[in-house]
Amino acid sequence: MLGGFDYVHPRSTEDACRLLAETADARILAGGTDLLVEIRNGLRAPSLLVDVKRIDELACLDTDGTEWIVGATVPLNVLAERRAIRDALPALADAAVSIGTYQLRNRATLAGNLCNASPAADSAPVLLAIGASVSVAGPGGRRTVPISELFAGAKRTCLEPGEIVTDVRIPARPDGMRCAFLKQQRIRGHDLAVVNVAGAYHPETKRLHIAIGSCAPTPILLEPIEATGSAAAVADLGIGLAEAATSPISDVRASADYRRAVLPILLRRLIGRLLDGGGP
Amino acid sequence: MHEISLTVNGQVERATVAAGMTLLELLRDRLHLTGTKEGCGIGECGACTVLLDGLPVTACLVLAVETDGCDVRTIEGEATAGRLSALQQAFIDAGAIQCGFCTPGMVMSARALLERNPNPSDEEIVEAIAGNLCRCTGYEAILHAVRLAAGRLQGREASDGGRLLARDGEANSAPDRGEGGGR
Amino acid sequence: MSGELRYVGKPVARDDAVDKVTGAARYTHDLAIPGMLHAAMVTSPHASARIVRIEPSAAEALPGVRAVLTGETLDYRVGLYMVDKRILARDVVRYQGEPVVAVAADTLDIAREACRLVEIDYEPLEPVLDPRDALQDGSPLVHPDLGSYEHMKGVFFPEAGTNVAHHQKVRKGDFDAAFAAADVTLTASFYNPPVQHVAMETHATIVQTLPADRAEIWTSSQAPYTVRHLMSVCFGLPHASLRVHVPYVGGGFGGKAGVHLEPLAFVLSKAAGGRPVKIVATREEEFNTIPSRQGLHSTVEIGAKRDGTIVALKATYVWDAGAYADYGVNVGRAAAYSGGGPYVLPNCWIDSYVVYTNKIFGTAYRGFGHLEVLCGIERAIDQMARKLDMDPVEFRRVNLLREGETTITGEPFTMGHGSPVACLDAAAEAIDWGTPSSPPEQASKVRGKGIAMLHKAPAMPTYTSCAVVIKLDEDGAADVLVSGVDYGQGTYTVLKQIAAEELKLSIDKVHVTWDCDTAFSPYDWQTVASRFAYMGGNAVIEAAADCLRQIRGVAGQAFDVAPARIACEDGVAFVDGDPGRRIPYEQLALGYTFENGNSIGGPVIGHGRYIATGLTHLDPQTGQGLPAQYWTYGAHAVEIEVDTETGEIEVLDIATAIDAGKVLNPKLCIGQVVGGVIQGLGSALWEEFRFDERGRFLNPAFVDYKIPTAKDLPRRMQQALLEYPQPDGPYGARGVAEHPMISVPSAIGNALFDALGIEFTTLPLNYERILRRIREAQEGNEVA
Repeated sequence: MLGGFDYVHPRSTEDACRLLAETADARILAGGTDLLVEIRNGLRAPSLLVDVKRIDELACLDTDGTEWIVGATVPLNVLAERRAIRDALPALADAAVSIGTYQLRNRATLAGNLCNASPAADSAPVLLAIGASVSVAGPGGRRTVPISELFAGAKRTCLEPGEIVTDVRIPARPDGMRCAFLKQQRIRGHDLAVVNVAGAYHPETKRLHIAIGSCAPTPILLEPIEATGSAAAVADLGIGLAEAATSPISDVRASADYRRAVLPILLRRLIGRLLDGGGP
Repeated sequence: MHEISLTVNGQVERATVAAGMTLLELLRDRLHLTGTKEGCGIGECGACTVLLDGLPVTACLVLAVETDGCDVRTIEGEATAGRLSALQQAFIDAGAIQCGFCTPGMVMSARALLERNPNPSDEEIVEAIAGNLCRCTGYEAILHAVRLAAGRLQGREASDGGRLLARDGEANSAPDRGEGGGR
Repeated sequence: MSGELRYVGKPVARDDAVDKVTGAARYTHDLAIPGMLHAAMVTSPHASARIVRIEPSAAEALPGVRAVLTGETLDYRVGLYMVDKRILARDVVRYQGEPVVAVAADTLDIAREACRLVEIDYEPLEPVLDPRDALQDGSPLVHPDLGSYEHMKGVFFPEAGTNVAHHQKVRKGDFDAAFAAADVTLTASFYNPPVQHVAMETHATIVQTLPADRAEIWTSSQAPYTVRHLMSVCFGLPHASLRVHVPYVGGGFGGKAGVHLEPLAFVLSKAAGGRPVKIVATREEEFNTIPSRQGLHSTVEIGAKRDGTIVALKATYVWDAGAYADYGVNVGRAAAYSGGGPYVLPNCWIDSYVVYTNKIFGTAYRGFGHLEVLCGIERAIDQMARKLDMDPVEFRRVNLLREGETTITGEPFTMGHGSPVACLDAAAEAIDWGTPSSPPEQASKVRGKGIAMLHKAPAMPTYTSCAVVIKLDEDGAADVLVSGVDYGQGTYTVLKQIAAEELKLSIDKVHVTWDCDTAFSPYDWQTVASRFAYMGGNAVIEAAADCLRQIRGVAGQAFDVAPARIACEDGVAFVDGDPGRRIPYEQLALGYTFENGNSIGGPVIGHGRYIATGLTHLDPQTGQGLPAQYWTYGAHAVEIEVDTETGEIEVLDIATAIDAGKVLNPKLCIGQVVGGVIQGLGSALWEEFRFDERGRFLNPAFVDYKIPTAKDLPRRMQQALLEYPQPDGPYGARGVAEHPMISVPSAIGNALFDALGIEFTTLPLNYERILRRIREAQEGNEVA
């Protein structure tokens, strides 16, 4: 038995919010791959799990041409295996398949990865760089939160009690944007990130958006870079901004020194690929 | 307590379960289907892999209550009418089984792969079983078993030409990744 | 044995594969006994502390709790070589993770809840975490009463008043003089951290104590008779009163060779009025509570002549035994007599210290110290080769043991030892040694090649033995009873092949009884040390001969001819030269009945055994003696690629050459080799126990203790199985089970030097360590 919690599976978002608000320590259950491990390991002891997988509106995966809507309960494999996502946002697909194992990705969700708010969340850098946002429902109604405002601290989001993320909204590759994702692991097998980075480059405006994970209490979006000049020069600029904006720590996974050493390497490779490498 | 009804290996099972019971506990302790193993309890090792509505998942991180109305397949359902599946036979023929503890999870991951992709590339096979840890075999024979099963199901032999089909007792080595060393 | 072999040497498939691939195989994890209770443990949060107070009353009061035990009431000590361990900690805790309280309850959830209710006060003490510190005067003593412990006298020598559980010495020749006179010398130091076996099935045991001081035990173990013996000694009970069953076992790798959770389950069952009690280690407990592979600090000094001949070698091994040193002392001993590597060493001194620290303790692990020792030796050998400006393969070739030479303990090297040189050559050839790697595809990458020798003999007592019984069924089939354990290696299949060959019986009619049961299965020491195929194989041969003797006797009587005139083939006994006069085995299996009803013979039951022969104790001062039943030699050669910007390392090619003597089953042998190489890769590149400054374990789960997955395979793996026969092995075979992992890390370390010009002396060779050293070297160059 994982714990002494109770379990409900509401059929509407409004019911889910109400249930959350009624029980202070209730937690949302989507994929459960973070939550159930935390409960097993004694890090959390909620009295109620609110399973949102029966709520139809949370299961959509669709685009209206201007943005993709990834419902909160869409498993990562479904997202990554959607051909249109692969084509339009390959970096998002790459980030998604870098999370855990194939089995895990049949349960884990994009929204869950974001709301778990690990500084190393693999979905965060891409979504930050692309300028995605989350739709939130709560007691006060619905609102949209840019991902850049979502993370309040390590493992903390800005969501208020009773609020749930209903979907992730991702701009559908405007103006020929190119995106890329790189992740440094300790092993080729499934692993958390030691450092992860993503970039989105808009060739028409020459604007480059870089986001970095695992190097600060939250994933970090750098200020936009005007990518004029050679890839090498742009990389130097990006690395300078990154070093000023991040504060890697030493933990059981890696030392701060290693993170500081690898971050510029990944950034240089990322920027090189975006500016010179071609491809979406 | 919650009343659930699910199909396990084609049979309808009804159970009354606490919310905190995992699917793994339901299978092993309640239904006495001990073929699915616990290796870590946190979804990292794949030993508890089962098919949930056709998708491979680690049963240690699925609550029993989440499976109400679902279809679950475990290793016990892989052989039918007393006959091993092509996949099971391929595991045997390829020498892909040593201590056997990872085997049920491996077979289920491979089963799911072949159902969604009957002709997987080597890379796709690796991706499909990379979430299943094995300490005994070094994986090579397992990859080979899946290749062999896929080939047989498609009506052709595996392309490696030799290792597991060693009729002459020669000690051959790894196929596909280059020439073997032999004796 | 003349003529074509029918089964031995063939890639016969395993029988057990069907049970395993269908989920029918039941491991101890899967067993349930009626009335069974479930147990959980409270473990120490401190590496070293006095237990001030344990208040179990809230736990005891919880409904469903049937027993709560602490170390206070358990007056027992356990140990095979060094009796230094209690079942639950008493007075003090010696490692973070040590079991302090155990609860047996109706369900596991209740047991765990009860554990949370136990109150324990500790007074933390200063832990000693580095064995080198533990050797210093004034170090905290992990076992202040070391001098009073029972131990295997004459073999192990604990030093009272210190943290030294054992000190094994080899003194051959005069190292000091020879080193001083050498043309070229070097000294190098190395470190191996503790790692874990990571069998996929964690430790599990069920014990039911029975009236009249008996008990029945089901356990995931490599050694049912060792479990029985140690519990007999520990609890003062006759062996026959303890019955041990071993069902399917999900991997062992040495971690299940001794006794682990069984004594705890025993005392819980007793306290619970004889209810069966099941304990299953969680994966975290498997890392943090159940023993590991000892860490090792080694220092190697080599002196050589300009012509490449080694004249002197000295190694100092300081083993990090952890809090208890039972198996650790035997690893330390083996490290000494093996500790110079497979070379001609006219002057060789080895000092192997097994040192207590306040950390999780070590036990047997595949390779039994040889991977760790050769991490130092084979790296130092490479360094010396380079110092002499010699090719590392050539340098080894010049110095490898050969006929006419002796080992460092005075054992003569004979043809029957096999051919280390052939292994070296096979491995070198397989990776095209001498030809530089092709250039990598990316500019940031570099490649290199490395090679390392390996050797090992079974580390076992001089009296190690094995017995086998073969009995015939009514239908003329043969059942082979053993209590060696097949926990994945496939030895039962090999024994089946040998039995079929020797009994002249179709292999379809030969079965090796799967479960071991000490009530029925004849004695085997332990399934470790790569000795079961060798000793079990020889015992099967003898048992089969015994069966045939009985068969020939009865058939001879039936046909009124001398037994020597009876031949056996294909399950039939017949008069040689007159095959019309024949009796199939099934008509003899339970005796033979003449037409008139008179019956002769009886059930055919053959008995065979094998005891280690010619082994002697090692002189405590010089280490001289004969410790080795046989040696198995081999070599690993690797080609690697390193990304100099991230430290990522990939193995492009790894070739393993092992002199198996006779490959009894090529499919199983290759399986052992590939599996061992990948396990070796884990030790080489990723695996290590991490502790904080207070000795607390930091990575007891797969999240942060990484073992290779299917994505981590080398691009190519090659195997060369050589067959220079072992004269006294079954069909010329010697053991190969441990060897495939032994020199993987040393070969990779050597390849890293080739690629980067950097000496790596600490495992694991992970990306971070590699990058750090690359950066340091670059900065050093810039400054220079």
